[in-house]
Amino acid sequence: MSKIFYDHLIVIEEIVAVLDEHKLTPKDRKNILGLMDAALQHEILDAIFSYLPRERHEEFLQKFHAAPHDIGLMQYLKDNAPVNIELAILDRANKTKKKLLGEVKKHRKP
Amino acid sequence: MYKGTLNTSKLYLGLQKQAQISAKKLKKRHPHAVTFFEKHGVVPGKIREHAARVATSVGLASAMLFGQPLTQQVLSTPAAKIATLKTDQLQGMLTNQLSTLLPKDITPLTHAQEDALANEIKTVWGIDARASLDGERLNRSYGLIGAEQHLPRFPGDTVDQHDAYQQSGITPGRGAWGYFANSRDQLTQDLIQKEKWYVAVQTLYLPDWNTRTKELSKWYKYRKVLVINPVNGKTVVADVADAGPAAFTGKHYGGSPEVMAYLGLNVHMQKGAVLLFFVNDPNGEIPLGPVEYNVTTGTPQIAKDI
Repeated sequence: MSKIFYDHLIVIEEIVAVLDEHKLTPKDRKNILGLMDAALQHEILDAIFSYLPRERHEEFLQKFHAAPHDIGLMQYLKDNAPVNIELAILDRANKTKKKLLGEVKKHRKP
Repeated sequence: MYKGTLNTSKLYLGLQKQAQISAKKLKKRHPHAVTFFEKHGVVPGKIREHAARVATSVGLASAMLFGQPLTQQVLSTPAAKIATLKTDQLQGMLTNQLSTLLPKDITPLTHAQEDALANEIKTVWGIDARASLDGERLNRSYGLIGAEQHLPRFPGDTVDQHDAYQQSGITPGRGAWGYFANSRDQLTQDLIQKEKWYVAVQTLYLPDWNTRTKELSKWYKYRKVLVINPVNGKTVVADVADAGPAAFTGKHYGGSPEVMAYLGLNVHMQKGAVLLFFVNDPNGEIPLGPVEYNVTTGTPQIAKDI
């Protein structure tokens, strides 16, 4: 998967590991991971825009669009967000992962 | 033929619903951001696809502009970059990361903080270290460590038989697991290292210590832990060989004279804040002592200097 500057806080490998305990076809695995990643991206972006002051959104969007992998983006967020943005992202990622893993658990075959 | 253990069609529907809900939430709360993405042909949930396109175009552009050899491009990946860094650079990198993740006060960490820290440790040192291992965890993964004395390794052991930090003295009693060896003759290099790089942890205050004493003693005996001084990034692999310190001391761990000296904490009050995580090393591949290079991608400093 391509890197995004906040990937180190998401640790999606935790989800992959749980999913790989089940025997999924490569197609199912890809589709399921795609949906999980989509939910995670929405939630992380929501967290970022919720904490970053509104007047910085446009600038951040331009930078993020130009180089989603750029680790300098984290520094930009740190410099401009009034909270510990890394912890905020981490917290949202963990809550979302928990929800997603709950969904997996719910659909285990007896 | 795949014999799945998941109801994939129902799971797919459930996840689809979650992705839709989160997409709607993002659009409702930050419509300008979603509009920006849409205007640029990017679907927020598929930002990874956009990242892949950018990475490809940047890669191609730099290859065309600078004719950078492939080997050099590979070297610019984080893992390869880490392999080229010197110990003090790795320690500096770790210090920077920890300063953003640790609380200002020496308070217990949340699971989320512990996960993020484990991730950083893995990146810098290549070591799988966690606050919780095999379902076991200490009451604190971040706390104060204080200086301890040497432990007697066998009956009749004296401080002058230890090869360093003799001024630290030796405890009158044995460590939590008794003597390391029954006699001087039975003292192996491995046991010498175990005493040299030992820590004391507060097993006695674990909530289930009194009900699972035997099981927990077995699990904690010489359990490898990674101890990090977040101020200077100095990191050491130690083993649990004693219990303590007592709660009234205000400290949460004790370190052997060697551990404290390496971490740079054998000065002034001889105590300081450390992170203490369990090392997941089922095959016993990670040696006790200072960690000075990435064990998966790096090479020891000495090897690099030759």
